[in-house]
Order: sequence, then structure tokens, then C-alpha cells
Amino acid sequence: MAEASSMSNEPILSMKGISKSYPGVRLFEDFDFDLRKGEIHCICGENGAGKSTLIKMFSGAHAQDKGSIFFEGKKIAGLNPHSAMKMGIQTIYQEHNLFPLLNVVENLYAGNEATIGLIINKPRMADRAREILEYLHSDISPLDTVGELGSGAQKTVEIARALLQDSKIIILDEPTASFNQVETAHLFEILKKLVKNGQSIIYISHHLEEVFSLANRVTVIRDGFKVNTYEIANLTEQTLIHDMVGRDVSLFYQRPRLPIGETTFEARNLCGNGVTDVSLTVHRGEILGISGMVGSGRTELAEMLFGVVKADSGEIFVNGIQSGMRNPLSAIRQRICFITEDRQATGLFLKHSLTKNIPIVSYRRTRTPFALPSEDIRMSENYVKALNIMTPSVFQLAMLLSGGNQQKVVLAKWFATQAEIFIFDEPTRGIDIGAKEEIYKIMISLLEENKSIIMISSDMPELIAMSDRIVVMRDGRKVAELGKDEISEETILKHAIGSSLK
Amino acid sequence: MNTRKLLRHENSPILLVLLTTIVAVIIVELLFVRGSDITMVAFIKPMNISNVLMQISVTGMMAISMTLVMISGGIDLSVGQMMCFLGTAMAYMMRNVGLSSWQVVAFALVLAVVSQVLMGLIISRTKLEPFIVSLGFMSMYKGFTYLITNGREITIEGKFGFLGKTYLNLTEKFRFGMPVILLLLLLVIMWLILKYTKFGRSVYAVGGNENAAFLAGINVKNFKLLLYGVNGIFVAIATMASLSRLGTGNPLIGEGKEIEVIAAVVVGGTALSGGKGNIWGTFIGVLLLGCLSNALNILGVQPHWQYVLRGALIILAVLMGYYSSRRNASAKSRILKTRTSGA
Repeated sequence: MAEASSMSNEPILSMKGISKSYPGVRLFEDFDFDLRKGEIHCICGENGAGKSTLIKMFSGAHAQDKGSIFFEGKKIAGLNPHSAMKMGIQTIYQEHNLFPLLNVVENLYAGNEATIGLIINKPRMADRAREILEYLHSDISPLDTVGELGSGAQKTVEIARALLQDSKIIILDEPTASFNQVETAHLFEILKKLVKNGQSIIYISHHLEEVFSLANRVTVIRDGFKVNTYEIANLTEQTLIHDMVGRDVSLFYQRPRLPIGETTFEARNLCGNGVTDVSLTVHRGEILGISGMVGSGRTELAEMLFGVVKADSGEIFVNGIQSGMRNPLSAIRQRICFITEDRQATGLFLKHSLTKNIPIVSYRRTRTPFALPSEDIRMSENYVKALNIMTPSVFQLAMLLSGGNQQKVVLAKWFATQAEIFIFDEPTRGIDIGAKEEIYKIMISLLEENKSIIMISSDMPELIAMSDRIVVMRDGRKVAELGKDEISEETILKHAIGSSLK
Repeated sequence: MNTRKLLRHENSPILLVLLTTIVAVIIVELLFVRGSDITMVAFIKPMNISNVLMQISVTGMMAISMTLVMISGGIDLSVGQMMCFLGTAMAYMMRNVGLSSWQVVAFALVLAVVSQVLMGLIISRTKLEPFIVSLGFMSMYKGFTYLITNGREITIEGKFGFLGKTYLNLTEKFRFGMPVILLLLLLVIMWLILKYTKFGRSVYAVGGNENAAFLAGINVKNFKLLLYGVNGIFVAIATMASLSRLGTGNPLIGEGKEIEVIAAVVVGGTALSGGKGNIWGTFIGVLLLGCLSNALNILGVQPHWQYVLRGALIILAVLMGYYSSRRNASAKSRILKTRTSGA
């Protein structure tokens, strides 16, 4: 990209002939990589392709079995996290590594405090912190408690901390996972500025839009092999996806359109839980998409529809009969189900086997007090087969499955209740492209069985491709309802952001 | 295949510790105390086995419901002092108010359930740690116990002997006391309940992931309340057995029991973080600690050393469980990785 003026062809960090294996798994073999000074180098790959392992080798957390790493032309032996940081390689991991109860300054200097003799030099630290935050165009105050900041601001604090430590290379692992669009845009501005001032950045992502708006070069890895490195100008989305997946996938999932039946679910003037006056209807064989920025009240609305939080006012009708959604149990009895956004925190029993996960909700649908293990196993085996869940057996613990397979276990849990109305909150978050497509297929098969779907998603292509209608929310209110012909990324975004930003 | 399955079973490590301990005790006794005559080994004489079973029965009953509470992610430190409170209150009612045996049984059950429900209400309706709430109740029970007794025993003059002093004589020297029969009965019942009922599944679900359990339609608050209520019933039964056997409402009747019970449950493989554990594991844990105390007495180990050895054994048992579950998990994930990367 033109603005990266300080970019040169000389590599600041490179890997030659790297091999790495774990017991039973060979992840990398004869892997080459180089990072030029002043570039943003994106690394793309599906979940499990080896991105995290790669980062850990750069940051010194894991040692390679074979091959060498060069930094500024010199071969380095025995890299460890401490020496990597000293040399100026700063890694920002996917999850926040901050002290939530300390303020920004204390976080920036944790373990590295500026001192006069034995006394901590608070004013100096605060000044330095203010300078860096200003440099990053951030409106965070140095005295804010980190735990109270949003995830975008927390990421900024982590970047500031990396900068404080004389960084030359910053490695970011999926930094935008919990960001909204505004936070993402802000982060990109910061990164571009850093690169202009001579930093080099390795950026891990599987969001294609991010890659194309940010990268100078892109390296695609698959199953621990480097597929290719591209200059961004020579790369198309099709090629990138093809390289990641190893086969052709249409960019937008092409779903069949099915006839839409009678109304099954209706909410009228719902208020409460941060949501004001929202009405919506869903029909048989239809996907109603719900769009909006993070914090617009989408999840809060879903929680009321499922009875997690009781609505203050308003009415809910299921198949034309008014129903008080007092709690999840009453929703389950009316054949509604809720696939939550965070499957690990609210969907799965991670420490338990699939035989304990899959039948758990279906118990609520019958009145007998008994639950037979043989029946649980039979049910679990059926769903493992039907949903193509990759697991050695139904006795596998849920925590040992991959993200996509975990999501399928959550689906199986709800399918077992014979539900009619499905509320999906971010159904494909954090799962790779292949598994996403399988989830879409499962959703379509639900429609074919005449069921109804409400789908919340931040993934715009997904929402547009899957929805028959889209409700857009902003500040807890429904601001638009778009029919099939009106749906486009621009219209949705316009309503979601509001008229103040155009 | 079957032996591998057996080794993988979650109770195997602790069972192994129990068997090793028993064998070790027999060998030590043979070598250092009795010479070489195995019939002389006091530890495995029928009378001694009967006694050990009798001694563990009270702890065992309390450990059953503690297992439930702990699988669901809770804990109850008050059970020992609650036993003191219930025991002395029962004795007081019998002696000073003149309640009959059956009346006093009903009284104890109601008192126990009401106390536990009160505690359960606070724990289930707030986000307060069960650890600290039950610690508070523990102290209150101790206070009530001394208010009732003034620190003195209340004898029940041989009444209420049915539970503690009835025996089923299998042979002349080997007999099951009533509390032992009751313990075995309760173990089987609770094992069946945990394995074959929705209630049982809910116990694991609530402890495994409270949020997911709530979204799965389980009324988590009331469920926790129910479990503490059940715990009250088990403590009451254990108290009756103990009171009946001792024949006196001693204010120290349950002193330190909470530690014994919790240690047995944890040694038996129940996770303090909830979601994991089972009844037979707990029973093995109770047996292990009971056998050890008995063996150390038989071997004439100095009481001060008994504490040290008991502590070391608890840590050893928990370590065994930790390493075996870690080994199983990594073995499983390796299978998965090769499977999925091949697919």
C-alpha cells in the first residue's frame, strides 16, 4: 500500500526451514516466512491450521524442533518470551492479558515500573501513558480502571503497553474478535500509523475484509504448511478463500429460497432489559435476521424472547396463543430454543461427555422423573451421525472438541427437544469456513421442516445471505425492517449506525 | 479392552490407593507386630471389619449428601456443628420435654430441613459464596449447641437404641450394625438416583455450568435449595444413628465431622469446582480414611503421627486422581487430533 512509505524489502524477522511437531501431530514442516520492516503481514488460515503455534514460535513461548529464526539478519538461538520482548517482539494475544482491577497506567507499567530509587515515579508514568494514548488518538484516561473499559479500548491499552517496551514487531492474534465496526476502524487507523512510523506488524485474522483493508502481504497456511505468500495487489478474495479451505467455496453462501408459511411467533411492543418497544413476527420456513451494532440490544431482545429475562411489558404469541415467557422452562415447553452467542459460557457443559450434553434439555419435555443412560447414548449417537459431529465417541468431553463441533453439540442439544422456533445468536462465531457452511446447511434443513428461525449475526455477508427479512436495531429500538429486496450491506449499516454518521 | 476400560474408570485411582493401603497395613502388621501368622492380623479380623464399617457409617451418610451438594458446585461447612446442634436438641427434647422416639425423629428431620433451607435460601438467592455462608451457620450451630447443653452432656437413658444398637449377625463375629445397613441402603438409592433420574442429571448440569443449566430449563435457584434440604435430611439421619449409638447428647458429637466428610468426598474424586464426582467414589474415600484411622490405631502409631500420615494420604489420593484424569484427557485429545486431521 502506498502509505507504507517506510516499507523496505529487507526482512526484519524471518524463519527458514522450521519444523515443529507435538506428540502425535506434525504441525509444521520446512516452513519459511519473512516479515519486512514496516509492513503489515497478515497470516490467514482456518482454525487449527497452526496460526497460534506460529505465533508462539515467534514470541518464544514454544521452540521449533528444526530450522532457524533470524532477527535483523542475525540468527537467534534459544528464543524465549523474555528475550523476544527484549529484542522488541511484542505479542498481543487474542484474549486480554490485563489486570482488570488496576488502572491504565498501572497496567502499562506492570512489572516494569518507572522508579526513583525504590519509589515508584507515578507522575512520570502517568505523563508517559498520556503521551502514548494521545499518540494512539485514544480518549482513554490513564486513570480509568481497565476492567471497566470496552474490549476495543482494552486492546488499545495492550498496544500502548507494547509500544512502551521499545517494540519493533507487534504480533496481533485476532484482535477484533469482540469488536464492533467503530472499534475495528479505530484499531486499523492505529496500526497503519504504527507501520508508517517504522513498526512491523504480524496480524492474524480470518476476517477477509480486515485482511484486504490492512495487509501489505498475506501468507496463507493450511495444516501447518505454507500455501503461499501474496502481495495484496495480486490477491483476490476467491484465491484467498480457496487457499485457506483448499477447495472452492462460494463467497456468499447460496441458499435455496423456500415457501414461507403462517406466523408462528410474534412479539408485540416488548420493553425491558434495555430494549424499548420492539415488535416482530416470524413465519414458518423463514429466517428473520436481526442486525445492529454490538450493544444495540440484539442479545437482550433474544433473552426476553426466551424468558431469560422477563419483559416489563409487551406480549408474546406462539402459534397465535399469548404466552408469558416467565423463564427458559416456559419457552422450552413452547418449543422455542436459544442457541447463545458464547457456547462455552452458556451453551455447553465442557467437563461433561456428549451423552450428558445432548439430552439435557430434552428431559424438560417429558414428565417422568427417569433418565436412562442407554437412551442418552442412543440419542447422542443419532445426533453425532445426523450432524456429522467429529468425535471419537459420544463419551468424549465437550471441551476436547473443536469450535465447529462444539457448536453442533449445542445444536443437537436443542434439536433433541423437537423445537419449532430457533433463536440463533451469532451461530458461526469463531468457527472456520468449512464448519460454517455445515451450520448453514443445518439451518436450511430446519426451514425445510417448516420451522422458524430468528438469527442474530454481526457477520454481514452471512446475515444477508441467510435472512428472508432483516430487523435492524439501534440503542435498544427497532429502527428498520427490511424485506428481501431492500437488504443490502449499505442500507443495514446506515440504519444500524444511524443518521449521525453517513 | 475390559481391563483398559477398568483402568480408565474415574474411581480406579482411588480404589487402587485403598487396596494398596489395605495390603500395606496387612504386610506391616505381619512383619512388625504379629510375626507371620495371617490369622492373627487384627486389621482383617471379622470383628474389626464390623467395627470399621460401624465407625464410618455416620461420616458415610453425611458424605452422600455432601457429594450431591459438591457436584452441584456448593459446599457445606456447617454439617459437623449442625450434627452437634441436632443431637443435643434431640436429647433435650427426649429428656426435658418427653417426646417419644418417633416424635423426636420427626422433630429432628423438620429442624434439619428448616435450618438447611434457610441457609440454602441465602446461598441460592444471592451470589454469596456457600463456603462463607455455611461457615457462619457453623458458628451459629455451635452457639445453639452450648445454649442448649451449657457444655454438659444430656443422657437419653438408654432410649432410642433401635438405630445404633441393633445388629444383623452374619456370623458369630461378623455383624452389620443398623447404621451400616442404612448407609449401604442410602448409597444404593443415591447411586440409582444420580444415574437414572433427571434429578441426578440436573445435579451434574448445575455444577458443570450454571448458566447453561438455567438456559436448559432447570430452575437453578430452587434446585440448589432442594439439595441443601436433602443435605439436611441426611445429616439428621446420621445424627440419629450417632446419638442412638452413643446414648447421650454430647455437644461434641459432630465436632470436626465437616472436615472428615469433605475430605472423604474430595478424595473420592468429586471436584471442588463442581460438575464431577460419584457416589461410589465417595464411599471408597470414606472407607479409605476410616481404614487408615483404624489401622494406625491397631499398629499403635502415636496419635500425633496419625494426623501427619492421614494428611499425607489425602494428598496422595488427590494427586493420583489429578494425574490419572490428566493422562486420560491427553490420551483422548490425541485420538481426536489424529482422527480429525485425517478426515
